[in-house]
Amino acid sequence: MRNMIRLVWFDLKTELKPPVWIITEWIIFLVQVSVYGTMISQLVTGIENYSNFFAVGLVIMITFDMASHTGRHFVEHAHEGRLPYLLSLPVSRSKLFLTIALQGGTELALMLAVPLTVTVMIMGNLTLVSVAACVLTLFGLGFGVAGLMLALSFVAFKSSDLYTAIVTGLSTIIIRFSTVLYPFIFLPPQYASAAAFSPLTYGADLVRFILGFDPAILVNPYYAVSILTALAVSTLGLGLILIQRLVEGVKSA
Amino acid sequence: MSEIRVILAIAQNDFSYFFRTKWLMAVLLSLNLSDMLVVALVYNRMMDFDYFSYYVPAVTIMGLFAASLDTGRRIWLALREGVIQYELSLPVSTQGLVIAYLLAGGATALVYSGSLMAIALIVLPANAAWNALLLLPFLFVLAMGLAGIAATLASVASTHGEFFFAFQNIVQITIVTLSTVYYPIEVVQKSLPPLLVMVAAANPLSLAAEALRQYVFTGAPIEPMFLVKILLASIPFTIIGALAYFGALRNLQNKGKL
Repeated sequence: MRNMIRLVWFDLKTELKPPVWIITEWIIFLVQVSVYGTMISQLVTGIENYSNFFAVGLVIMITFDMASHTGRHFVEHAHEGRLPYLLSLPVSRSKLFLTIALQGGTELALMLAVPLTVTVMIMGNLTLVSVAACVLTLFGLGFGVAGLMLALSFVAFKSSDLYTAIVTGLSTIIIRFSTVLYPFIFLPPQYASAAAFSPLTYGADLVRFILGFDPAILVNPYYAVSILTALAVSTLGLGLILIQRLVEGVKSA
Repeated sequence: MSEIRVILAIAQNDFSYFFRTKWLMAVLLSLNLSDMLVVALVYNRMMDFDYFSYYVPAVTIMGLFAASLDTGRRIWLALREGVIQYELSLPVSTQGLVIAYLLAGGATALVYSGSLMAIALIVLPANAAWNALLLLPFLFVLAMGLAGIAATLASVASTHGEFFFAFQNIVQITIVTLSTVYYPIEVVQKSLPPLLVMVAAANPLSLAAEALRQYVFTGAPIEPMFLVKILLASIPFTIIGALAYFGALRNLQNKGKL
């Protein structure tokens, strides 16, 4: 465990001294919620108080960005020659994988500290259980997405450049074809079927359900729980297997 | 004459680098096209007014903005990787090098947003599509102005990447939020104090988006004064950016480091 924490800190300290990324993300969130959210909320007539809906959407987007960053970071490091060094350490492959997950989780917690607190304060009328459930859902979603990015890493072992292009492009599409920014009922049928495959649809709507949004505009929470659990378990499992098999042959760029 | 040729060669190199960066193309295209073809359509169903017609021209301008800002990333990379040292050794003056980067920034943004404009003209009926051609020179000046903002940020951040990207993100979100790109001025007037309303109205992005809406899609006759406003709002940024980048290069020449 000490080795894992040391490895996590090894990467994390460069991002925390100074914590520019985290503070930037917080500032952007606050500007978006307080200005953009308020303005666009005046135009939206389809749902009541769109700014709250939007704030939750932003929290989901941060979760997604951080999780995909975790997966991508690992693959990019592999191509920068850092992986052979990590593999030479007296740490097993599975522990290395857990270290990546732990680092991603820590970064996610830091990134979400202010946005989630602000969102919960905006919503008001919440219990400790609902906040805990919300945090749990976000971390479940985060692990699922990070696993997805790691599972896609087999592309990177052919071309790192192509991998970055695919995952960054895919990230935008996954967000747009989901209920992060708008309720499912407003999606045109051809988009709704695509959104049904986006993990963010289930993550966003489950968090909204927990925070007390009208269930009529959300996807079924039971489906959401099942799908998110399946996603987290399957992609992390797949990522673990792929990493065990593929990392040994990685060539540095 | 030979210096102009070198300036154009540097600008051409920078121009092609933008389009050869696969991940950047993937991000920009997926973002702008999905904004245009997904977000605009869905928001339209959630609102009482025709938001699709309002939003599609805005996406073209946002494409211009994003592509212009990438000039800053390329300048920052050139500073960090030492490419700039090589470029300073070329038979070109420091001013020439600054002009080359700003020209490339304007050209990349114009070509990229031109492709978005072509798609916008397909998805949204335009009453005066030919007016888009008349707006191009003004959009080019605007793109140079926005590239100037990016150049300033890159020069200020020097080789510290984390600061450059942080500055860029904050500036980008502030400029977009304090504009009428995504929401009409009436909405801004209801929510923000008069000073910020003035800022939003004078924002070059607001002006450019409004010009596209009015003159290309609605088909209103072009008002020369409106185009002058775009120039007046853009040129100061180009000058500030050029001076900041020039100052950074001079520092580099005198001290050997930034």
